[in-house]
Amino acid sequence: MNDRELIGRVLAGDPSAERALYDAHVDRVFRLVYRMAGDLDRAQDYVQETFIRGFDRLGDFRGESALSTWLCSIAISITLNGLRKVRRFNERETELDDGLQAGSPVREADPDLKVRLSRAIEALPEGYRTVFVMHDVEGYTHQEIADTLGVQPGTSKAQLSRARARLRAALADFARD
Amino acid sequence: MDDDRLDDPIRDAARQYNAPPDTPKEEMWARVQASRRLGAQRGKGRRVVSPRYWVPWAAAAAAVLAAGIGLGRLSVSPETVVPEVAERRAPQVNPTAYRLATMEHLGQSEAFLTLFRTSVVAGGNERLASASARQLLATNRLLLDSPAAEDRRARLLLQDLELILAEIAQLSLESREQDLQLIREGIERGDMMPRLRTAVPAGPNSMQGAL
Repeated sequence: MNDRELIGRVLAGDPSAERALYDAHVDRVFRLVYRMAGDLDRAQDYVQETFIRGFDRLGDFRGESALSTWLCSIAISITLNGLRKVRRFNERETELDDGLQAGSPVREADPDLKVRLSRAIEALPEGYRTVFVMHDVEGYTHQEIADTLGVQPGTSKAQLSRARARLRAALADFARD
Repeated sequence: MDDDRLDDPIRDAARQYNAPPDTPKEEMWARVQASRRLGAQRGKGRRVVSPRYWVPWAAAAAAVLAAGIGLGRLSVSPETVVPEVAERRAPQVNPTAYRLATMEHLGQSEAFLTLFRTSVVAGGNERLASASARQLLATNRLLLDSPAAEDRRARLLLQDLELILAEIAQLSLESREQDLQLIREGIERGDMMPRLRTAVPAGPNSMQGAL
């Protein structure tokens, strides 16, 4: 059954079609959201919200892109919005912690490549990080990224290039090794 | 664009970034179903919005809706006027009216964000900015729920704009620096200003088909 038939059945109120649609797309959505969120609880929340919103708005889906792209678009929007709230909260918490721990020695471990890379990816601007994760980590094409994020493929390519440049600079010592 | 790709060890390590576990399908499905059932019981979807949040801008929303319908009626050609004795129908709103309303809204939003970036960021006027953002947000949501949002580009732009306006609407003196930083990033990240300027052509004759 293709997406169009599946959507028709979901809109007609067929519960088995709802489940079939969920099964067909949940893995891809979850992988992307988890890569962005890096936390199981948050990823689950965002994926749930994606499908709730997706089912609610399925009647608005006009088939201009693949259903998977449409769902990923919702997922990215929910995830980035959620992560912004988390970041805002964490920044406030960190300020409090900094105030309490002023003067305590900073312990700096010698991180391996994986840890350093994770930090460098986390430090990327949101747009760069999203494109980098989608392209270099999850293997989306620039066209898919463009469709999902509502930008031109050229914007996706430019952001990926800048993301890579920042990562390369952050990991320059590994490159020399 | 793979001529600048990362070195192999870095690329390999990148693939391990936030490596996802197995999808907890059943757990999430149960929650999705529970939430949808709850939404169905409430009758209007799962989203429950506090009336306190909406009431202050209800007047603005009604005004925009009235303006849209008015524009639509004005733009209906004389041939489609139905005599009074004819069967009553719901008013036919010309899609052009929605496009014009959308462009007007995007133009106002662009002007507001430009002013916001230059004046509010420098200090003061948060309350005024918040109030203006709430008004624009009300219009934005009406347009998102209208045929204006059937155009994919317009819809995406309105959705991105909604996030930024919502953040500005929540500005407070207590969290000003952090909020401003997030808003700045939001505007930059989505190329908001260039997209608004592209959507709203400068010349009055170029309005047609801009969206």
